[in-house]
Amino acid sequence: MSRVRITLSINGESHELEIEPHWTLLHVLRDEIGLMGSKENCLEAECGVCTVLLDGKAVNSCILLAALCPGREIVTIEGFGNPEHLHPLQHAFVAHGAVQCGYCIPGMILTAQSFLDEIGDRRPSREEIREAISGTLCRCTGYQKIVDAIAAHAAGRGGKRAQAHVC
Amino acid sequence: MAFAVHHPGSVADAVALASRLGDSARFIAGGTDLVVQINHKRCAPHHLIDITRLGELAGIEETQCGVRIGALTTHKEIERHPSFQGALRGLVEAACVVGGHQVRNLGTIGGNIANASPAADVVVALLALGAEVSLVGSSGTRVMKLGELLIGPGRTARRNDELLTSVQIPKLSPMAASAFVKAGRRKAMEISVVCVGACLVVDASGRCTDARIALGAVGPTVLRARGAEDALRGQRADRSAFKQAGQTAAAHCDPIGDVRASEQYRRLLVEALVPRALARSLSRIMEAKS
Repeated sequence: MSRVRITLSINGESHELEIEPHWTLLHVLRDEIGLMGSKENCLEAECGVCTVLLDGKAVNSCILLAALCPGREIVTIEGFGNPEHLHPLQHAFVAHGAVQCGYCIPGMILTAQSFLDEIGDRRPSREEIREAISGTLCRCTGYQKIVDAIAAHAAGRGGKRAQAHVC
Repeated sequence: MAFAVHHPGSVADAVALASRLGDSARFIAGGTDLVVQINHKRCAPHHLIDITRLGELAGIEETQCGVRIGALTTHKEIERHPSFQGALRGLVEAACVVGGHQVRNLGTIGGNIANASPAADVVVALLALGAEVSLVGSSGTRVMKLGELLIGPGRTARRNDELLTSVQIPKLSPMAASAFVKAGRRKAMEISVVCVGACLVVDASGRCTDARIALGAVGPTVLRARGAEDALRGQRADRSAFKQAGQTAAAHCDPIGDVRASEQYRRLLVEALVPRALARSLSRIMEAKS
């Protein structure tokens, strides 16, 4: 099948690309653009290490066709913070020792950010945070500290008291 | 794995494309089922018709007859929408246990229905709510009951050139409410071993005037427990009637044994979960009344 030309907006920059129609966004990010922060693992939306923000919402880039993404705003971990200017949520992860091997952390951070944006300035319960990151697997099993970090960051945003919204 | 992706600008164009391309084409929205199926070589379309840019398919709207949900509505949008926080909350309870946060941001209600999994949580909730679907094809529009659309595992009565455009939930009476309960091997990221949706209607004296009970993962499609519904009508809506409904539903469903659970265990789950879904519906009615 012949390649098609598309333009993707990634981390605020416009990228002109020639892609195969079956390429996923994850493939394009890693192998065409060289952004290696989004990880490749299960390739069936089970593990969450490929998570990116699509128009501000966390999605699995491993099952998202790049051909469907023109006109959407894509943010990867590289556009979220960098070693010189960590995002406050990344600071919270470092401060709580939530980063072990690091493989899941880009997905964890972006999933958490999407969740916190979704609930507004309300302070989430730990149960809600655990549910929010249930599609993002950490094989170091460092969940406790990850939840601590997200909870602390959420509290630091001046969040209101927790109102349970658990199904 | 070689296909072309088309980007029609309207429902009419999408349908015309599907009609011209025939069986080699599939519509794609969130792609959370379809892309995985293509990657696993369970299907090999030559053309994908991108419907994600069709504004006509978006949005949740309260009408005089109920609620109209556009096919592109994501699970997450259902979860958060105020229209579903009251009597229709069964739909939220189903939407919020589908996959993880990321899948719920991508996966759409239209795709979930068209995929026709016998274990689809949201479809179970919708069937209990008496939902109808609208299909637009090259020969016009038709509206059908959700139960008539579902004909087998992965199979629907939708013709290949028909696009599922919206789902309609009829308005409930003031003394009605819904609920959804699910059993999986873990709390999240899990295909249902069994799931149950219920919608209960009672009168002022607490008698059940109508009930719909839908079951997931216990038959070739999501299905209604009609025997149990019939037995409930006219009865006092209480624990003993709900228990009886669970037993009837368990006796009449058609589960298979597979890697997730045995046939017998699925029947036990139906027996336990049907009363729970009915009781939760009832308490929701009482809450709204008080």
